[in-house]
Amino acid sequence: MTSAALEAATDIGETRRRADPVLVGLWIALVLVALIWIAPFVFMIFTSLKTNEAVMATGAFHPPPEFAWQNYSAAWERGRFDTTFWNSAIIAAVKVPLGLIVSAMGAYALARMQIPWGKAMLVVVLFGTMIPFQVMLAPLFTLVNGFGLIDTYPGVILPYIAFGVPYQVFILHSFFKNVPKELSEAALIDGASHFTIFRRIFLPISIPALAALFILDFVATWNEFAMALVLLQNQNMWTLPLGLMAFQGQFSNDYGQLNAAIVMTVLPATIVYLMFQRYFVSGLTSGAVKE
Amino acid sequence: MQLKRSLEDARFQGAVLLGPAVLIYCVFALYPLFDVVVMSFQRWNGLDPERAFAGLDNYRFIFTSDPVFWIALKNTVIWTVMCLIFPPLLGLLLALGLNQHLFGRGVLRAVYYLPVIIASIAVATMWRWMYDPFFGLFSQIMTNLGMASSIPDWLGDRTIALYSVFVAHLWHSVGFSMVLFLAGLQSVSQTLVEAARIDGAGRWGLFRHVTLPALRPTVTVVLVLSVINSLKAFDIVYGLTGGGPAQSTQMLALWAFTQAMQIFDYGRGGAISVVLLLITCAIVVPYLRWTQRQEEAAR
Repeated sequence: MTSAALEAATDIGETRRRADPVLVGLWIALVLVALIWIAPFVFMIFTSLKTNEAVMATGAFHPPPEFAWQNYSAAWERGRFDTTFWNSAIIAAVKVPLGLIVSAMGAYALARMQIPWGKAMLVVVLFGTMIPFQVMLAPLFTLVNGFGLIDTYPGVILPYIAFGVPYQVFILHSFFKNVPKELSEAALIDGASHFTIFRRIFLPISIPALAALFILDFVATWNEFAMALVLLQNQNMWTLPLGLMAFQGQFSNDYGQLNAAIVMTVLPATIVYLMFQRYFVSGLTSGAVKE
Repeated sequence: MQLKRSLEDARFQGAVLLGPAVLIYCVFALYPLFDVVVMSFQRWNGLDPERAFAGLDNYRFIFTSDPVFWIALKNTVIWTVMCLIFPPLLGLLLALGLNQHLFGRGVLRAVYYLPVIIASIAVATMWRWMYDPFFGLFSQIMTNLGMASSIPDWLGDRTIALYSVFVAHLWHSVGFSMVLFLAGLQSVSQTLVEAARIDGAGRWGLFRHVTLPALRPTVTVVLVLSVINSLKAFDIVYGLTGGGPAQSTQMLALWAFTQAMQIFDYGRGGAISVVLLLITCAIVVPYLRWTQRQEEAAR
């Protein structure tokens, strides 16, 4: 079939599909539900730009009569966002790359080297991806406290890495396993060490997988609440979610400011998601569903 | 001699590559897991240098004298069942719809997935405001519909608070199931679909006899992940209701945390954690065996 004929054929397919009443109905239903899905965001952004008087006087989906940008600066001040933002940024900036390197090295060893008990370790890893850390908050506090690391960056970064390792090792192990043997064997025969092979061959070819995990992990770290709640007691060490929780407790009647605080907390992760959407989906599904 | 040296060398390299991951994981994940089990057999307030052995006292207490434990267990079961039904079902429907060639489906997919990336504590804060009895979204909508007199106190009414929390969770989590199903749908054989079409299969027949069987592994994965995630329910409850009113939204993960970190009874908190852990294992272990079998069958 020539390409013109192929185009014509798909064209016919397209028009037939477009005329299909079932699909039109489906489309309308999906758009309507999507509007409901996005409504909370609209409501939140509108409220964040209203003064308290405007919140009480206007309807939920009524756009703000005038933009009360001062809500944002006031919420930033009162919610101590400069502190919490900074803490979240440092923790994510250290934890995400460090954790990924640790996981990638481990995954390489398990996938490509003869490791005693390697199989058993893989089972432990797989098991680890499913055990909820929420059940161990108390012993985790005791342990970190024993190291004297409560209210420190390492005190929260190390547990974060520990609970991130299983999922990342699991994904990267299956990725490394599928790299053709010839690629590394030739280098081994040439006398290259495993360090060199890992750094020069495996890291470069696994950039797509690493990028997906990087973004997923960034968002997860940025959003983490339960462990931070237990391990960071001092206000000066709080991360964004802890700060938001406290803000809600203190100023829940300043509707505009509260919503401005939520928007500011949510925005970085949303931007990352919108920029790297593609990686998100591939990172999530590569673990759970075989393609 | 040469061989032995290179062997040792490989062992050394393996240790360097694998060491950090194993060390951090053992210290900060496996050890607390072990310690929570030990704690559940001890009497401890988190401060004393001594952790006294208490035998089965903690378990006896939570099973016989702690009414909140049973409420939390019941709520966890209700929550898990709801998590097994609604997010996967809605996710499947959305995935089936968004797998068609529709105008703007990329944008629609992004909209449905957007809540997933938001911090659960932010979701809780948002929804708490939407549930506000006076100016919240739902109350306003009901007022506009002329039902102002029957506006319930969404989070303050013991009979509905748990379901109000669940609706927020549903909004937060459907996108996750949807994405997994969308990925699973890519594995449905197009040749099979065409063949069934030629044989005159209708939409329902196509779904029932071609798509659904091909999706079976995905369905299993989604259901298992839903159960596991539902047992972890912590942030959203903590942020929306803190377990209240009158413990009506209390769940096992949160109650274990409250017992240990707020009531300072690490032993009882540990015992609750162990119960939750056992429930998790009862689901995870059969699932792992199932995946193992699948992999062997694929080989």
